[in-house]
Amino acid sequence: MATKQMTKNEAAYIKKVNSKKLSGSFEFMTSRLGWQVSGVFALYLAVTAFMAESVSTAKLIIAAVFAVQFLLQFFITSKITKELIGPAGAISDGTRKLGFLLVPFILCGNFLLFIAGMMLVKKEKNIEYQLSVYSLLISLYIILISALNLFKPKQASTFVLGMALYGLYSIFNLVVIFAVGKYAMGKKPDKKFMPFAVICLLGLALGNVFSFLLGLIAIGKYRHKNDEISVEWIDVIRRLFKNYTAVIGMIVVIFLLSVSIGSNLTFDYRIATSNNFSQMLAQPSLAYPFGCDDYGRCVFTRIIFGARISLIIGVISTAVPIIVGGLLGALAGYYGGRTENIIMRILDVLSAVPSILLAIAIIAAFGASTITLIMALSVGGIPGYARTVRAQVLGLSNQEFVEAAKACGAKDGTIIFRHIIPNSLAPVIVRATMGIGSAVLSTSSLSYLGIGVEAHIPEWGNILKAGSTYLESNPYIAIFPGLAIIIIVLAFNFFGDGLRDALDPKLK
Amino acid sequence: MKKFIALALSVVMAFSLAACGTTTEKEPITILGQSSSEDNLNIIRDQLENAGFTVTINMQPDYSSFQRAKEAGNFDLAVTGWTTVTGNVDYAVRGIYHSTGDYNDSPIIDEKVDELIDKGATEIGEQAAATYTELENYLITEKAYLVPIYSTVKMLAYNNQLLKAESINQPKSRPGRWEAYEYIDAANNDTRPLVLTQTSASPTSLDPIQANDGTMNTLSGNMYVKIINLSDDDEITTDSSLSYAYAIAEGNSEYYFLLRDDVFFSKAEGGHAVNTGVRVGGEDVVFSLERAADKNSVASHKTYTLHNHMQTIEMVTDLSELSSKVDASTGASVLETLTAGIDGQISSLTTDKTAVNNAAGTYQVIKITTTEPFPQVLNYLAHQSAGILCEEQVMSLNSKFTVEDYDATKDVCYGDFGAIKAGDNHLWCSGPYQFVSVDDYGITFEKNPGYMADSEFAPKIANVYMKFIKDASSATSSFRAGEVDLLGTVAATDVSLIEQDSNFTVMKRDSNGVTYCNFNLREGSKFLNEDLRKAVLYAINQEDFVLFNNGYVMPVYSTVGTLIDTGNVLTQDLEASAQYLAAYQESVNG
Repeated sequence: MATKQMTKNEAAYIKKVNSKKLSGSFEFMTSRLGWQVSGVFALYLAVTAFMAESVSTAKLIIAAVFAVQFLLQFFITSKITKELIGPAGAISDGTRKLGFLLVPFILCGNFLLFIAGMMLVKKEKNIEYQLSVYSLLISLYIILISALNLFKPKQASTFVLGMALYGLYSIFNLVVIFAVGKYAMGKKPDKKFMPFAVICLLGLALGNVFSFLLGLIAIGKYRHKNDEISVEWIDVIRRLFKNYTAVIGMIVVIFLLSVSIGSNLTFDYRIATSNNFSQMLAQPSLAYPFGCDDYGRCVFTRIIFGARISLIIGVISTAVPIIVGGLLGALAGYYGGRTENIIMRILDVLSAVPSILLAIAIIAAFGASTITLIMALSVGGIPGYARTVRAQVLGLSNQEFVEAAKACGAKDGTIIFRHIIPNSLAPVIVRATMGIGSAVLSTSSLSYLGIGVEAHIPEWGNILKAGSTYLESNPYIAIFPGLAIIIIVLAFNFFGDGLRDALDPKLK
Repeated sequence: MKKFIALALSVVMAFSLAACGTTTEKEPITILGQSSSEDNLNIIRDQLENAGFTVTINMQPDYSSFQRAKEAGNFDLAVTGWTTVTGNVDYAVRGIYHSTGDYNDSPIIDEKVDELIDKGATEIGEQAAATYTELENYLITEKAYLVPIYSTVKMLAYNNQLLKAESINQPKSRPGRWEAYEYIDAANNDTRPLVLTQTSASPTSLDPIQANDGTMNTLSGNMYVKIINLSDDDEITTDSSLSYAYAIAEGNSEYYFLLRDDVFFSKAEGGHAVNTGVRVGGEDVVFSLERAADKNSVASHKTYTLHNHMQTIEMVTDLSELSSKVDASTGASVLETLTAGIDGQISSLTTDKTAVNNAAGTYQVIKITTTEPFPQVLNYLAHQSAGILCEEQVMSLNSKFTVEDYDATKDVCYGDFGAIKAGDNHLWCSGPYQFVSVDDYGITFEKNPGYMADSEFAPKIANVYMKFIKDASSATSSFRAGEVDLLGTVAATDVSLIEQDSNFTVMKRDSNGVTYCNFNLREGSKFLNEDLRKAVLYAINQEDFVLFNNGYVMPVYSTVGTLIDTGNVLTQDLEASAQYLAAYQESVNG
C-alpha cells in the first residue's frame, strides 16, 4: 500500500519534471505547435472538401499534403520527446538531421514547420540565429505571396524586378544564416560579420525588422566593451524571443509591415482599385485566392494593399494616446493634488464626449485626410490611457522602491521614467494591443459615414463593409478581411503579452 | 565591406525607384454624391479615371448635407435622381431643366430648353413626343447638360403562399393600390392584418398638399380618393377614382368629371374606422383642388407647382353645357362621353352632395378650366396631392389660425403628424383605407366601410399595418422571416436571396426613376465649357451599372426616356472623350 502510494507520487513528480524539461526546449515547443496546427488544418481541409456538393480533388490533395506534414511533424515531436525525457536528456544528431525534411514545407506556406525544422537542425542557437531564420522566413513568404500573382492574366510592370530583388534578398538572408553560424556564435561576433550586420540594418527599409534587429544586436555586441555584463536591451530582446507565441505575433506583424512595402513592386494597385465587371463576385480561385468583390476587384490584392493603411492608422492612432495619455496620467498620479485635479477634470470632459462623435467633429473641422483621421481616432483614446496609468502610478508611488529612490535623492523625472513608468506599463500594453483592432474598425465606421478613407481605397474595414452585403450569398468577401483584422489584433496581443513579460522588471 | 554597403544601397534605391510610378497631365474633377449612392460614385470615378480625369469624391452622409454642398457649389459633377411620380413628361422635365424649375439648381439656363418644354406641354400624342425627343437631343447630344446613368427597375416582393398573385399590383408611377390586395384564404381578409413596411417613421404631413415625398406618398395615396387615377401602366383611368367618366372638351382647356355617389368619408372612432355618413361630393372636390392650386392655402405648400395650371374648378349646374361641348377625341358631345361611363342616364345635376342620387339620375359634374391648353393636367389630378379632403373637417382645424400667423410649434393644422401621434386623430379619409392609430413601430389602417362598398373597388383586406423599418436590409430580413407580408422596394443585391425561397415572388417592372449627374453650371465653373462636358459624357459606360446591379437597372438617355421612346442610347466612346478633353485643354492653354 505504501509503495503504491509512493509510486503514484513519484509518477506525478516525474511527469512534472519531464514537462518542465520539454517546455524548456525550444525545439519541442516549435515542433508541437507544428503538428497541432498542421493536423487541424488538414482536418479542416478534408472536411470542407467532402462537405462541398462535389468532392473537390484539388482540396483533397492539399489536405493530403498537410496530413503528410502532420504525420512527419508528429513523428519528429515524439522522437524529440523520447530523447529529451530519456537518459541522454538531449536531442540526438540523427533526430536533428530530420529537421531538414521539415524546411521545404515553407513552399506550402507552413511557416511553423519551417521554424521547427530550422530550430531543430541547429544545436546551439543564439538570438542572432533565431533572428536570421525569421528574417529569411519573411523574405521567402513575400516571394510566395507575390508568386500567386503569376496565376493572374496580367502582372504589375515591376513584378519581375520585384521578384528578382526579393530572390536576391532571400539568398542574402540564407547567407547570413551561415555567416551567423560561422562568425557570430560567441559572446562577441567576429569582425568579419560586420559587413553582414550593416546590410542587415538596411532590412528596415524593406520592413524586415528581424533583419534590422540582427544587425543592431551584432553591432551592439561588437562595440560593447565589458564582456562580463550583458547589454540590457539585448537581454530584453532575448527574453522576448524566448516566448514562442510572442515570436509568432511578431512574425505576423512584421510580415504585414514588409508586405505593405514589398507589394509596391510585386502587386498591381489597379487590380485592387479598378472595377472589372467580368470578374464580379468571382469565387476564390488560384488567380483570385480570396475571390472578387461586387466590383470585380481582387479581394486578396485589396487586403495586401489594405495592410498599409490599416497598420499605419492602427499603430499610430494607438501610440499617440498612449504617449500623451500615459504622460498626463503619470503626472497626475505622481503629483496628485491640484495638478491631478486639473488634468483629470479636463480629461473627464473629453471622455464625456462619445469618441465617434468627437472624431466626426474633428474630421468635419479639419477636413478628411489620413492625418486628421489618425488625430480624430487618437484624441478619443487619451482619457482611457491617462486613467489606466494614473491608477497604476497611484498604487506604485507609495511603494518602497520609489521611497528608496526618493531617499537616494533621485529627481522626479528619473523616478517617473525609470521606476514608475516601466512598472506601470503592463496594463497599458494590454490595452493598447486591444486598441489597435478597434482603431481599424473605427476607421471603417468613419469611412461608412463618408468621412474616413474613400470607399474604393483598399482598407480592411472598407473591404469588410463591402462584404457585409453579401454575407449570405458570397461570404468569403467578408470572411477574409475579417480574418485579417482578427489576425492583426491577435498578433498584436501575442506580441504585447510577450513584450510586457520581457519588459517587466520583476521578471528579470 | 564598402562593396557590400554599395550593393545594399543600390538594392534599396532600386526598390524605391521602382515604387514611384510615372504621372501624366490629368484633368481634375470633383464628384458630389450621397453615401447612399456610394456604388454609383465608385463606378463613375473608375470610368472617369480611365478617361484621363483625376477624380476627387465628395460624399455626403445624407440628403440635406448633400443639398447644402450642392448649393455651395463644391462640385463639378453631382449624382442625383428624379422620379416622375405623375407619369407625364412635363413633370419629368419642367422642374429640373426649365429655367424656372424648382429643382433646376445646377442650373441649366437655356432659352431653347425653356421654349421646347413650354411647347411640349400644350401638345399631345406624336406631336408632343417629337417635341420632347428634340428636347432630349438638344439637352444631351448637343449640349451635354447632364450625364444620364440609368433608370431603375421597380421591384416588389410578396409572400405567394399568403397573398393572391393576381391581386398584387405594381404600378409604374403611383403607389401600390392596397384595396386590390387579397389573401388566398378569403377567411383571412376580415381577420388577418396585412403587414407592409416603410423606412420613415415620421411622415412629413398627412395633408396631401403639404408634403410630396417618400415618407407619405404611399400612405396619402391610399387614404384619399382622387377624381381620376393612373393605371398601373400610367394610362389615365377612372378605376377606383371618384369619377365614373371624364371628358376633355375641344381645345384641351376644359375637363369634365362625372362623380360617383358611393364614396363616403370615414373616421377613426374607438380604435376602428367608421363611416361618417358624409358623402365625398363635388363641394369637397372644389374645395380640395382650389386649395391645391392656391399657393397661400396653407403655410407650407409643397405641391403648388403641380397644380398651378388649374384656373377654375367648379360644379356644372346646367346639363345643356355638357351637351353643347364637343369631346376633343371622339367628336361626340361631352354628355355622351360622360354617359357612356354609367348604366343609366343623367337626368339632372346638383351642387348639393346630399341631394345626389345616381340611381335616380341625379349627378354631380366637375369642370376644371386650365390657364392654357394643358392635357397633362389629368396626370397631376391623379397625383396624391390632388386627394380629396372633407372641407368641414379641414376647416375645423385650419380656421383656428391664419396662414400668415401659422406657428408650427403650437398651431395644429390638418394632417399634422405630431398631433396625430399624440392622440388627436382628426383625419377623415375619402380613400379605401382609414388611418386608425400610430405608435413608434407602425401605423394601423382599417378599410373605409363607406368606400365604393358594393363595387369591385371596395377594399378586400380589412386591416393593414405599416411597419416602420429604417434600414432596407433589415426590412428584407423581416420579410424573409415572415414578419412582413409584402416588401414594397427590394434592393438589387437582395433579389436572388429572396428568390431562392419558393414562397416568395419578386415582381419587377420598369419605372420612371432616373439616376443622372448634373454639371456645376454656375458662373466660374470650368464645366460651362461644352467640350469638357462631352468628355465626361462619352467616358460613361452605362453597361457597367447594369452589370453591377445584376441587370436591375436599365440604360437611359434622360428623364424623358422612361416615358417616351426617343431611340437615343448613350454609348461609351473613349476616343471621342479624349478628343473633347484635348480640345478643352487646348482652348484653356491657348
